[in-house]
Amino acid sequence: MTDAKLTVVIVDDHSIFRSGLRADLDDSLEVLGEAATVDEAVEAIERLQPDVVLLDVHLPGGKGGGGAEVLRTAQLGRTKALALSVSDSAEDVVGVIRAGARGYITKGSSGPQVSRAVATIAGGDAVFSPRLAGFVLDAFGAPAGEQAETDAELDRLSKREREVMRLIARGFAYKEVATELFISIKTVETHVSAVLRKLQLSSRHELTAWALERKLL
Amino acid sequence: MGCSPDPSLTGPGRGAGPCLDAGVTATATTAPAEIEPRPPLLRPRRVLLAGVSAGVARHLGRRTATVRWWFLLLAPLGGAGVLLYLWLWAFTPVAEPADAEEAKGLRRASPVAFQLLLLLPGVLLVGLVLGVLSRFGALAVSALICCAVIAWSLGVDRRDPSWPAWYTSGTRLVAAGVLLLCALFAALGVTNPQGVATVLLASAFALVALGTLFAPRVVKLWSELGSERVARVKEEQRAEMAAHLHDSVLQTLAVIQNRAGASSEVARLARAQERELRDWLFAGPAPVGADLAARLREVAETVELEHPVVVDVVAIGEAVLPEEAGQALVAATREAVVNAARHAGGDISVYVEIAAAQTEVFVRDRGAGFDLAAVPDGRLGVRESIIGRMQRAGGAATVRSSGAGTEIVLRWPETEGRRP
Repeated sequence: MTDAKLTVVIVDDHSIFRSGLRADLDDSLEVLGEAATVDEAVEAIERLQPDVVLLDVHLPGGKGGGGAEVLRTAQLGRTKALALSVSDSAEDVVGVIRAGARGYITKGSSGPQVSRAVATIAGGDAVFSPRLAGFVLDAFGAPAGEQAETDAELDRLSKREREVMRLIARGFAYKEVATELFISIKTVETHVSAVLRKLQLSSRHELTAWALERKLL
Repeated sequence: MGCSPDPSLTGPGRGAGPCLDAGVTATATTAPAEIEPRPPLLRPRRVLLAGVSAGVARHLGRRTATVRWWFLLLAPLGGAGVLLYLWLWAFTPVAEPADAEEAKGLRRASPVAFQLLLLLPGVLLVGLVLGVLSRFGALAVSALICCAVIAWSLGVDRRDPSWPAWYTSGTRLVAAGVLLLCALFAALGVTNPQGVATVLLASAFALVALGTLFAPRVVKLWSELGSERVARVKEEQRAEMAAHLHDSVLQTLAVIQNRAGASSEVARLARAQERELRDWLFAGPAPVGADLAARLREVAETVELEHPVVVDVVAIGEAVLPEEAGQALVAATREAVVNAARHAGGDISVYVEIAAAQTEVFVRDRGAGFDLAAVPDGRLGVRESIIGRMQRAGGAATVRSSGAGTEIVLRWPETEGRRP
C-alpha cells in the first residue's frame, strides 16, 4: 500500500464500542468520523468518502434495515464496507454481505485483527472468518457433496473454493491456506473473492431464507 | 414470607407450603408461635359439584359432609348458604394439578346437567298437582331449567371419562328439544294469548335452542382464538426482549471481551455468559445432527472455563450418527481440545463437518507443536484417548504437528462412505 493512511468511518450505535475500537485501531488507520444511526451513517459515508466503513450489523434509525440498509442507500463510491457484528453467527451478516459488504469480523476481535481486516478490504479482497466460511459451506450444500460444474455457476462452490473455505473454517490464515494448497496468497484471495461474489449473487434459497428468518438477530 | 404462625396469613395457596413440615412437628400447646398452620383454602380437583365444601372442610379441619350440612342449613335463611357457596366458588382458587390427568380440568363426580333434567318432570308434577304453578309458570320453569342445563353443559361441565359418550350431546339435545316444545306451546298461545310477550318469549326460547346446537363450535373457535392470541403476544414479548438484550447486554459482553484481552479471566467469564445468554435467546428447533455439534460446543465451553483459552467451534452439515460413534468423537475431541489448551493455549479452532458419508472433526492450535513419536509410552493422552478411542469406534485420528501449530483430525467412519 502507499504511505497515505487508510481512512475509516466507524458506524455503531454504542459510543463505548466506538471509542474503544478507535483507541485500539493501529496507527496506519485514520478515523475520519463516527456515526450511530442509519441516517447518520449514510450522511457520514457520503460526506467523508472513507476507504473503509466499519459497519455494525444492527443499527437503529432509517427504515429499520440496519447495516444492510446503509449499504443500499448510501452512494458508496470507492468506499468498501467491513461488517461488524456482536456475534460470530453468519446468519447475522448474510444480509449485509448480500447488500455489498466485503467481509465481516466479530466485535470480539482485537484491534490489530480489525486493522488487518481493514487493510485487506481496502486492498480489494474479502475477509472471511471461520464461522462465515462454515456458513458458506453449509449454505452451498458442501457437506452433501454438491459441487459446481463450471466456475460461472453461482449456486454451488467449485472444488477449489470448497477446499479454501474448509481450510478457513478450520482456522487457517490466508497464508497458511496458500501453503497447504501449494498456491499463492493472491490465488487464495481470488477464490475468497469469488465465493463472496457467489454469496452476494446466488439465489440459493437457503441464503435468502436464512437472511429473512433471522431478522431478529 | 417466613414461617408465619398466624393461620390467617395462610391465604389461598401462598407461602404455606414450605411451612407445613416445620409446623407439624411442633405442638400447638407449647407456644403460640408454633401453632400448626391450616392448609390453604383451595378447591380440590376431584369434586362432587364444585369442590367448595371439600376445600372449606380441609381448610377448617372438619368433615366434608359437615360443611355440606352447614351450607344446606344456611340456605333457607334468605339464601345465605347459597350465596356463600357461590361466593366461595367464584373466589376460591383451584389447587395445583398433581398429575397430567388432573391438569386437564376439574373432575366432577355428579352429572349436574343430567340431574337438572331429571329434576324437571318432578318439579312440574309437584307444582301442577299442588296448584302452585300456573300453566304459564310451568312453561317458564321448564324453559328456565332447560336453559340452566344448557348453560351448565356449555360453560362448566367436563365429561367424566366413566360416563357414556353420548352424555354431553344427549343432555343438550333433550334440553334443546324441551325448549323448542316450550316455544311451540307459547307460540300457539296455549297459556296466555296476549300477543307480543308470548311471541318474544317463544322466539327467545327458539334462539336458545338453536344456540345450543351451534354454541360448542363457537366456544371452541373462541378459545382457540384466545390461545392463539396469547401465544402471539408471548412470542412478540420474547422477540422484543431478545432484541433489547441483544442490543444492550450482548454488546456490553462483547466490549468487555474486547477490552479485557482474549484469554483473561474476565473475558472468559464474559464469553461464557454471552454463550449462555445467546443459547437462551435464540434457541430454535434443533436440526437433526445438531446433537453432535451441540455436544462439541459444550466441550468447548467447559474447556474454556478451565483453561485460559478461546475455543471457537464451527459446525456444518447434519446427519445421524450411531450413539457409540458420537460418544467416541465427543470424548476424543475433548481430549484434543484439552491437550491444545494445556500445551499450546491461545486460540483453538474446532471445525466439525457432519455428513452422511463421513464426519470429520478438526482441532487446531497455534502452539509450538510436538512430535508424536517422541511422546513417551506412559503418556496416554494422544495415543490412547484420541487415536485408540477413534479406532475402537471404527474411526481414525491423525495428528499433524509443525512449529506453527498442531492439528488433530478425527474421522468417522475410517473410510468415507463405508460404515463399520
